[in-house]
Amino acid sequence: MGEPKEYLYVITAYTENSVGLLSSIAGIFTRRSLNIEKLLVYPSKVEGIHKFKIHTRTTPVRAREVVLQIEKKVDVIRAFAVVDDERSPREAAIVREFLKNRDKNNI
Amino acid sequence: MTGAEILMESLLAQGVDTVFGYPGGQIMPVYDKLYDYSDRLRHILVRHEQGAIHAAQGYARVKNVPGTVMVTSGPGATNVVTGIADAMIDSTPVVVIAGQVSNAALGTDAFQETDFVNLTTPITKWTYQIRRPEDVAWAVARAYYIASSGRPGPVVLDFTKDGQTGLAEYVPARCDYIRSYVTDHEPSDALLTRAAAMIDAAQRPFVVFGHGIVLSGAEDALKAFLYKGDIPAGSTLLGLSSLDSDDTHFKGMLGMHGNLAPNVMTQNCDLLIAVGMRFDDRVTGTVKTYAKQAKVIHIDIDPSEIGKIISVDLGILGDAKQVLTRLTELIGSRTRTEWNHFTDDIKAVEKLKVINPELRPGDGAINPGEVVDIVAKVCQGDAIVVTDVGQNQMLAARYSRFKGVSASFVTSGGLGTMGFGLPAAMGAKVALPGRRVCLFVGDGGFQMTMQELGTLMQEGIGVKIVLVNNNWLGNVRQWQELFLGKRYSATRMLNPEYSRIAEAYGISYDSVEDRADLLPAVERLFADDAPAILQVHVREEANVFPMIPPGKSVSEIMLNKTEWI
Repeated sequence: MGEPKEYLYVITAYTENSVGLLSSIAGIFTRRSLNIEKLLVYPSKVEGIHKFKIHTRTTPVRAREVVLQIEKKVDVIRAFAVVDDERSPREAAIVREFLKNRDKNNI
Repeated sequence: MTGAEILMESLLAQGVDTVFGYPGGQIMPVYDKLYDYSDRLRHILVRHEQGAIHAAQGYARVKNVPGTVMVTSGPGATNVVTGIADAMIDSTPVVVIAGQVSNAALGTDAFQETDFVNLTTPITKWTYQIRRPEDVAWAVARAYYIASSGRPGPVVLDFTKDGQTGLAEYVPARCDYIRSYVTDHEPSDALLTRAAAMIDAAQRPFVVFGHGIVLSGAEDALKAFLYKGDIPAGSTLLGLSSLDSDDTHFKGMLGMHGNLAPNVMTQNCDLLIAVGMRFDDRVTGTVKTYAKQAKVIHIDIDPSEIGKIISVDLGILGDAKQVLTRLTELIGSRTRTEWNHFTDDIKAVEKLKVINPELRPGDGAINPGEVVDIVAKVCQGDAIVVTDVGQNQMLAARYSRFKGVSASFVTSGGLGTMGFGLPAAMGAKVALPGRRVCLFVGDGGFQMTMQELGTLMQEGIGVKIVLVNNNWLGNVRQWQELFLGKRYSATRMLNPEYSRIAEAYGISYDSVEDRADLLPAVERLFADDAPAILQVHVREEANVFPMIPPGKSVSEIMLNKTEWI
């Protein structure tokens, strides 16, 4: 069967802008001995929401696991993983839609 | 009001009535205010902060509400780390309020400063540093909401001195919604219909359930589901007591030291329905051969658990009670008599080869399992059973009998924290003083947190301690015997004279060596409601069987040292 193939993933997370979240998310990678190839943290296109963009080399199973662990953090809104060459331009739209539904259902 | 007083008001607003803690320099303003609130907030002074967190866990586990811990900064805070990790892996709601140095001193290596936020981030659901009194009410409301909602867990509030002493107006805060934190997963009708069709089509469905049943209060829903589909079920360690031990659909405990029947059913079912459990390796053995013949439905409230260990055919995100209730409406009423009796033979094998030799050995030293069995007889299934970790824990899980009341088994499952037992039992008794609380603890684990006898003494907490003494670290010794050629590295233990320790704390004490004295001693132990220790000297080199050796398949089970099935 051999080792599962690794890909360069771009993991994005849309988050609240809260103290300590970077360290909290970084810990998910450290615990799994995943090296972060590139890291960007900046205000996203969705107003008031920050965005993490993390490049890491890993297997599809691991990538999915990492995304779910990131999303599990209280201050993370949504997280996604794509292989570097297939960026998803729809992420911001998904997050906007998600927040709209969340807030609408909580009236 | 000061931040400290706002904290008191906020705790009361959350319905907190009990705090387990230990004062110190950087939490003193809070303790000073606690003095004024002592009529409304019961503070239990432990002897070591680890005792406070395990007590809060015991309290939370039997009452299904968050336990509250209050400690100082630095060493006070680091001493609760073990319990926080334990609460995280066992989904136990606790809120830890830790003192912290003043805002100006943060990051300067000040006296008793430690970076508690960073220390606890990986082992909490949420950690927050309160630096201003204005944030107290908000942070407390959010902390209790996060700790108790969704998949419960620990939350840390790192409370700086300025936050405690500064002045602000108290504005009561509530929290039942955080936009980035989703707990209200509603499975679609289409998904549930698919699940019901899979269940109806199955000839040999088998339910494996865990702590999620207790946490969501799904006991009745589970029972209704099992009865309508005539589906047998097995429990994880933490799911025990949510279904009566003698329920006809209950096949026993899963996993390494579990019963044969549920492990055999796992490997012979055509549909495995997992509810509120996370396929721990102690349950699955090697996953390469785990339930490979079966389709798998996994019901859990935590999205990261579905597909984490076992790939599933259908994952259902949601609350166990809600999902089971809706599934029960959708599935057909069936009888599956033959499948329910599938393991009758294997059950008889376990009785003959494992249970009878353990519980009815004839003569010789008392077996540790006999102690649990006698306690179960005397308590008639109504005691809260608390365990430490190791052989005492596995035997308590195997031979305790539960009837009618869920959340009656408190143990450290995921982290396996020796020393958990005594303080957890203390917390359970404080939470539900009307119930009998029986602790099974070995000589190793007892000595890890034995200092809490002082708390039992001071507060008069009526925990019944059954000290199962074999003068070994029995679980490790068993592994050394079975897998490491009896090279007993650092497992022999020279014990103190426990009668004198009990005497020093003014706690009544009894000791048993002969089988004939065991039943009367246990009856005496439970005759009143005062704290007491019963030391039972048991067979020194006793082993817990059956056993699925580490890394083996669920179908490779040792019945004793020489026989396998």
